[in-house]
Amino acid sequence: MILMEPLISLCLVGQKREFSAGDELVAEYQFDAVSADEIHSAEASVLWYTEGKGEEDLGVHFFERRVPTDADQGDLRLLRRFSTRLPTSPLSYSGAIFCVRWCVRVRLFLRKGRELMQEVPFVLGAVPAVQSAECRANEAR
Amino acid sequence: MPRLIRWLQKKRGDRRTGSNLVGNVGEAVFYGALFLLGVTALAALLTAHVVQPAAAWYAVGFGFWCVVLVLTSFVILGGAGVLRTAFRIGFSAERRSAMAQSANRIDLVREAVPQPKDFPTLPSHDGLVNSPGTELAYRLPASNPTGWRLLATTIFSLLWNAVGCVLFVIATRGWLDGNVNWFLTAFLIPYLAICGGSIYFVLRQIWIDAGMGPTTVEICSHPLWPARQYQVHLSQSGHIAVKSLSLWLTCDEEVTYHQGTDIRHEVRTVYQEKLYERADFGIEPGIPFQTECTLSIPPTAMHSFQSEHNAVHWWLVVRGSLAYWPKFERRFPIIVYPGEATAAAEKRPVSAPASSRIHARGRSVLSEVSA
Repeated sequence: MILMEPLISLCLVGQKREFSAGDELVAEYQFDAVSADEIHSAEASVLWYTEGKGEEDLGVHFFERRVPTDADQGDLRLLRRFSTRLPTSPLSYSGAIFCVRWCVRVRLFLRKGRELMQEVPFVLGAVPAVQSAECRANEAR
Repeated sequence: MPRLIRWLQKKRGDRRTGSNLVGNVGEAVFYGALFLLGVTALAALLTAHVVQPAAAWYAVGFGFWCVVLVLTSFVILGGAGVLRTAFRIGFSAERRSAMAQSANRIDLVREAVPQPKDFPTLPSHDGLVNSPGTELAYRLPASNPTGWRLLATTIFSLLWNAVGCVLFVIATRGWLDGNVNWFLTAFLIPYLAICGGSIYFVLRQIWIDAGMGPTTVEICSHPLWPARQYQVHLSQSGHIAVKSLSLWLTCDEEVTYHQGTDIRHEVRTVYQEKLYERADFGIEPGIPFQTECTLSIPPTAMHSFQSEHNAVHWWLVVRGSLAYWPKFERRFPIIVYPGEATAAAEKRPVSAPASSRIHARGRSVLSEVSA
């Protein structure tokens, strides 16, 4: 018997992957290869998180949780579109020892306790990547 | 296909690479067992004293209360652990973070955790603009790590020397009585050397902090925006011969992370620019050295950023090299807001297809991001 993993389709509407502060971000998602009865809930969020040497921090800008009673005919698989106006900070940042990343993330919770996730990264703002002072000094030499 | 249970796992801070479910169950079992052990043992102990006082295993005294304290801590730790685990199960990191942010929107909480209203993750600048300057609009408060260093050194020195005095008295009594404890005497030699060293470092720190004279930095406006110019006023008092005195604009990244059971803190300077420098001059008592210079934040600079474990801090740093004194450095925090050049997205030619949809099998969630 072949077990199919549920399929999560997630996309940002439009061609942009770089956004300015205050821009509107529109995303949509849907689920396939899973029956409606199996889905317990779905969460969509727009968030930033840190990566790098420090512990990871996370901040949610937009969050939406849906259970079957929130959907038409109780079917959470159908295409769902949401939008949010992006904040003025924190801007995406690639630093010397940590980075700030933005993404749209969708989580699918199944009845049997399983959980699946899909995310699409994007860039907020245009802060150039930095190099540490040590790196710049080494390059100067 | 991943195995149901991974025997070898990694743990990095709050994250782990194993199954959340197994981890949560294990945690619940551990805390539950701790709670039950505490409750059972505490109940047995109290019952033995209350119901059958004559058959009590322990007399009510110091030992009894110690046991009660330890068992109560088992109950509290176990109960809190079970509740914490129960709260986490079924809640994604995003949902917990969203709930925390909802709580932060309540005015009472937000007053306790001040942040600029329209700029999330920027530190509050309230504490930086409540002191008017004499030359310019605001006098910046000094971030004073040396104060904490002095306090810590003083506490260490007091405790170390107090113990040293007691040991010295005991050893001296032995010498006077003719009953010399050679082990204690040998132990006292390096111990007293550390006593002397700690006193030296305390006095040196007090000498630097008190004898140098105050450094004040004032600024014409705050918070700061990239690509704009600001006036900065620097004043240094004291009675000192200065080899060099300089004012720097610096940007530091700061992170904290767990390494084993230790909490590490790392700072990396990612930008620094010398705003002013003067060499070989003297400062007389009552006539502070004063100067003004211009400060400009680079247009593409990263804004100030503060999250729980990661931060970008901007500073005005005064560095001095003085005759007959150790070098000193005093730091004054400033808050930089996002500039126009960085808030706007880069204009790039569109090369991606119109429908760049991610259409993939969902990843089973094995690792978790801490909220």
